[in-house]
Amino acid sequence: MSNDKFHRIILPLSNQFYRLALSIVKEQTEAEDIVQDVLLKLWNKRNEWDTIENLEAYCFRSIKNLALDRLVSDAIKKTDSIDAEIESRTFVDTHSPYQEIVQQEQRSIIYQCIEKLTENQKLVFQLREIEGMNYKEISQSLGITEDLVKVSLFRARRKMRELLSNFENFDKNEW
Amino acid sequence: MNGEYIHTLLNKYWGCQTSPSEEKELQDFFLGENVPNDLKCYIPLFRYRDEQQSLSLSPGFEEKIRKQIKKSPQYITIRIFAPLLRIAASVALIVALGISLFLISKQDASKPYLTETYNDSEAAMHQAAFAFEKLSRAFEISESVYIKTFQEIDKLNLDWPGMDSINIEKPAPRKKIDL
Repeated sequence: MSNDKFHRIILPLSNQFYRLALSIVKEQTEAEDIVQDVLLKLWNKRNEWDTIENLEAYCFRSIKNLALDRLVSDAIKKTDSIDAEIESRTFVDTHSPYQEIVQQEQRSIIYQCIEKLTENQKLVFQLREIEGMNYKEISQSLGITEDLVKVSLFRARRKMRELLSNFENFDKNEW
Repeated sequence: MNGEYIHTLLNKYWGCQTSPSEEKELQDFFLGENVPNDLKCYIPLFRYRDEQQSLSLSPGFEEKIRKQIKKSPQYITIRIFAPLLRIAASVALIVALGISLFLISKQDASKPYLTETYNDSEAAMHQAAFAFEKLSRAFEISESVYIKTFQEIDKLNLDWPGMDSINIEKPAPRKKIDL
């Protein structure tokens, strides 16, 4: 693979790598560090690119592994709620204070639901729901079988449906 | 959008039978204003999708990576990827190993490290006798020289006891001169 492909194909995927890392470490700076580390390591190993079957999937796997390693090594203290900084970045539109409160509540509900998923279900959910990948791409990116991807996604959605349906504090009329 | 169609699409979604484009359709619907009350509980899910999809790295990130890539040195590594080269390297290794084993096995273990230089014992004896004669002659010459030297010294009639009693005065230590 030519160096040009790195600039044309890999670098434009940086945001996807970042979102995957962020979904695991839940800390913006740490997620950026992980993406940077993986991209620089990949660049330094450019003599081996020809031996890697799917470079994009390889990057996703590296991001996932590094992010999980960082969590395990206690470099980051994983918290139940997402970083406040991320929350502030996600909503930049001009809602009324009431709408803002409603959306804040919706966000809190969904994060609680996501935390109830297994690690595998979270990763599959992230790559399918957020990145819109198909099953084959997800299986290559996570290094798991397509069948496991399907099962994980099915269980994740089913759990999500149950949790959302059973949420008692919903005030449906106000949404 | 037709309510029945949305319910069908949503059921397909829960059953993991929707395509990414159909899921995007659902997302757009749930982000809109006309969500029926019975489906409002699913709004957080599709709003979360929308929020997460808009997350991105800080603005200067890509430029920072490009700069670091330019700075990083080019490491040249030699690797044997070609199958033919691998085979050639394996064959060379096996041949070298074989030659080494052959040479080691050919060595006679009973052979001493120091070996005789003569096969004929008589010739060896003759050479040894010649060497001893030479050595004997050298001793004779050195003995005669020794005797001759002592005879010459005796002729000098030196007073050895007197020479032994000679006291050599040590020089007096120098006085310090204060300037």
